[in-house]
Amino acid sequence: MFYRQSGVHHTRYQTARRLWPLPTDQGIVWLLLALAVAAPLYLSDLYLTSYLLPWLIWSAAALSLTLLMGIAGQLHFGFAAVMAIGAYTSIHLTRAGVPFELALIGAGLMAAGIGCIFGAAALRVKGLYLVMATLAMQYLVDWTIINVPAISGGAQATLQTPDVRFLFVPLRGDAMLYYGALLWAVIVTLLVLNIKRTSFGRALVAVRDKDFAASVIGVNPFKFKLLAFFASSFLGGVSGAVLAFCYYQAVTPEQFGFNVSIQLVAMVLVGGLGSVIGAYLGAGFVLLVPIILTNLVAGAAAAGWLSVSSNLLAHIPLMVYGGLIIGFILFEPLGLAKIYDNLRKYFLVWPFRHTQS
Amino acid sequence: MADQQAAGSGGQVLVCENVSRWFGGLQALKRIDVAINQGEIFGLVGPNGSGKTTLVNAITGFYPPQEGIIRFYDSTLNGLKPYKVAMQGIARTFQNVALFKGMSVLDNILLGRHIFMRPSALASLFYWWWAQKEEIAHREKAEEIIDLLQLESVRDEPVDVIPLGMQKRVELARALCAEPKFLVLDEPMAGMNQEEKEYMVRFILDAQEALGLTVLLIEHHMDVVTAICDRVVVLNNGEKIAEGPAREAINDPAVVAAYIGKSHDAA
Ligand SMILES: Nc1ncnc2c1ncn2[C@@H]1O[C@H](COP(=O)(O)OP(=O)(O)OP(=O)(O)O)[C@@H](O)[C@H]1O
Ligand SMILES: [Mg+2]
Repeated sequence: MFYRQSGVHHTRYQTARRLWPLPTDQGIVWLLLALAVAAPLYLSDLYLTSYLLPWLIWSAAALSLTLLMGIAGQLHFGFAAVMAIGAYTSIHLTRAGVPFELALIGAGLMAAGIGCIFGAAALRVKGLYLVMATLAMQYLVDWTIINVPAISGGAQATLQTPDVRFLFVPLRGDAMLYYGALLWAVIVTLLVLNIKRTSFGRALVAVRDKDFAASVIGVNPFKFKLLAFFASSFLGGVSGAVLAFCYYQAVTPEQFGFNVSIQLVAMVLVGGLGSVIGAYLGAGFVLLVPIILTNLVAGAAAAGWLSVSSNLLAHIPLMVYGGLIIGFILFEPLGLAKIYDNLRKYFLVWPFRHTQS
Repeated sequence: MADQQAAGSGGQVLVCENVSRWFGGLQALKRIDVAINQGEIFGLVGPNGSGKTTLVNAITGFYPPQEGIIRFYDSTLNGLKPYKVAMQGIARTFQNVALFKGMSVLDNILLGRHIFMRPSALASLFYWWWAQKEEIAHREKAEEIIDLLQLESVRDEPVDVIPLGMQKRVELARALCAEPKFLVLDEPMAGMNQEEKEYMVRFILDAQEALGLTVLLIEHHMDVVTAICDRVVVLNNGEKIAEGPAREAINDPAVVAAYIGKSHDAA
């Protein structure tokens, strides 16, 4: 087979620590990137802007969350609130005339700052209590946004995103919006991959695995948990801003409600905790499955095989997430990424059955 | 061994004065005095539950003593958090291996370099221009230790699949990577067969010589203690019952009685 590990030897630490040490993996990555860049040429506008584009942004958001939940091991059930802070901050900053690039950084910093305040409070507790603390963040942020007209623009209001330029290019038209999303997804992907192979990521994993053993080698557990909250919330905030500008082109509080937080957790868990490719698979899964399911059920209902109320129809996806999260936790805690990994390893050692790494 | 000479072979590295530690009503350490000299391998022995691990935990900041002073060179360790103690140049291993299960052997060992590195998300983002240089420099250091402890063959394995004897060796490697001045080993040979034990003794001696270390060794295997320890302290029920050159202290009637009293297996 063409997909082999044998015969690949690294003679320098630099190449041994490459993101994709195997030539075949590198080839696949370059191919995917080329396909993504060329997507506006071969995809219809519908597929580009309503499937590929949101998938990329949600993947970036799931990556931000997996940095905290998977790599640093801290649960967060209010991540949509973090994204909301980023989205609203970026809109208000750009409306005030701040350049878009700076507004994005401002969105990240604001989300990271507020995320850290809750994080610091939450870090004194663990497990279920951390879940409660992050849920509290979700509700407090929701409430504040809805009830402070200066932020939401009044009850039931929708804030339109102003026209902006990114690095001198106007962010207008389907292709440009798509490229904006793609760029952000690539940046977050590279960041998380690089974190995983550097001292920062190792320290986070160490604190997650055994905090006393981490402190005996000089890692300050509290500091690194807080840094994880900061970095993850920063990325989440910017992802929220990118979502607002490149996808919705408007923001309302409902876009970042509690159910969105649950969707994000589902993306991370279904994809595989801490896995980069898992974030993409999980986001794709969570976005697509409800559409497919709703179509199936609606089709069945229309054909008269099933009778469902539209109310039930709306809740089917939520029930399916719940089932999926439980199913993955029980049967494949490492998620879709593990399934992909098994497949990859099968080819790596083909025609033999077992592999070591 | 130049710096050993400079410090004077009589120089004291670590001094515990009057150290006491209670767990609720149980006094696990009773006014312990210990002084460890530069460059020696100092043994800490005693029956199960005598307070050996507790003393080590007091030194490394996990269970700060309620009474007494612990000095390391010129500074006191009292009240320092474990990570601060580590930054002073004290490394340790645990009685029950405490490696990071989710990582490879190499990453575990690289973590030993943590105190010399400047981890940051920004440095990771700009990996190729920023973090890579540091990563490679510290990788080279880690490889020296891998070489010293002969861990090449398991370098890329996930740490939880290798045998226990190897895991203990990886933990020693992680501790050595921090270039400590003072190394604490809590039963590094527990659960090892004779061959593994001999390897471990060899590695401890090699490391001590190569890095000019001072070592505090907790060990139940008395053959090992008499073979490599310069001096020992014997604890029983949290009390120091003997001190001195290994062979003499272990044959002290009080010590023999303590071990027989506990009908201990390892004595
Ligand atoms: N965290 C703790 N809470 C309560 N009691 C403790 C704690 N740690 C140790 N002890 C008690 O302190 C005493 C000394 O324990 P320690 O672990 O120091 O013994 P040890 O000499 O290391 O024994 P071993 O040879 O079995 O490792 C024991 O009676 C133990 O039960
Ligand atoms: Mg012990």
